Amino acid sequence: MTLIAFAILVFTFTVMAFGNGPAMLPLFQKGLVEEQGILSVEQMLYAFAISQVTPGQANLFVTSVGFMLFGLGGALLATLALVAPAYFMLPLMHGYERVRKWVVVRRFTRGLTSASVGLILAATVQIGQTSLTHPIGWVAFLLTLGFSRLVKWKPLPSLLAASCTGMILVTVWKH
Amino acid sequence: LFVLHSSLGNGDAALTPTLTYRDLFQVFLKAGLAFGGGPGIIATLEDELVGRRQVVTREEFLTKYALGRMIPAGTSAAMAVGFGYRFGGLLGTAVALGSLLMPGVVLTILLTAAFTTLQDNPFLGLLSATLLPAATAFILLAAVKLGEDVFRPSLDLVLAAAAFAGVLVFGLHPVLILLGGGLLGAIAFRGEEKPA
Repeated sequence: MTLIAFAILVFTFTVMAFGNGPAMLPLFQKGLVEEQGILSVEQMLYAFAISQVTPGQANLFVTSVGFMLFGLGGALLATLALVAPAYFMLPLMHGYERVRKWVVVRRFTRGLTSASVGLILAATVQIGQTSLTHPIGWVAFLLTLGFSRLVKWKPLPSLLAASCTGMILVTVWKH
Repeated sequence: LFVLHSSLGNGDAALTPTLTYRDLFQVFLKAGLAFGGGPGIIATLEDELVGRRQVVTREEFLTKYALGRMIPAGTSAAMAVGFGYRFGGLLGTAVALGSLLMPGVVLTILLTAAFTTLQDNPFLGLLSATLLPAATAFILLAAVKLGEDVFRPSLDLVLAAAAFAGVLVFGLHPVLILLGGGLLGAIAFRGEEKPA
């Protein structure tokens, strides 16, 4: 895949998923991991983990994927392709009075959101088949869920605490 | 959130643009440093533009937000373009968008570079064994968060379940499922939402 083809793919996936980071994940998994085979599940998960612990938009895992595949140029072009659809805002602002009556747009978006939820859950199952192959992986998975949902920790401390606990358990397990 | 309170024209006329390029840079850089993704960014923008600097009315802010939700990009990026144009024309959009993205992009590139450099290191291998399952948990959490309004007896839940089965049982392509979900939503939700 060329850099330009990758940028077009990012633009298309962004438009398809309305720029929602998690909703774009199944598209990348299908397109780059399964069909093209140029990205591993591990790389995609690492990119997603980065986007969860860094400030700013949650869809910046695309920048990370661009860097992994094409270096700095890939990261920057992927970011540009990611935000380019935001310029649709300019004509929309000018045609606002007409657009506000487009209830169908909101119904379409609502249907899209519902489908996205199902897609992300399906992606979780598919990715889990690769990442959750060891009991200690399950411990890290469940600890992250617990820290985030029950204790209400931010992503970074949740990730670090679960990961470090898992690493200690892996070390103990091996010895 | 989709309630549009006033027209764009009224909102713009109510206040004179008073943000310089430097102000735009500062406001959107601060927003770009916010954690929590889109909601964190939008909360920071609201605090800066409506609260602290008082250069945008709440009505105009909500209008831009609602329009941003209709844009097939991140809402916060669309708002950066909207407010950037409002205060600084096309150059303003570049300043707002660039400063919004800068912190996240720089940190993302640095952390990815660290990963690509250290990926053969045994320590990273050990970390991956626990980091990747933790990242998988974040994907599940994202689905739960996005689906807060979906997980109830509703047509939304039926669509979500159909999409789930479409991938795992029938092996359909996610693009087809998203398009199908949007089109079915446009038809099935008729009469469920009031016009803005």
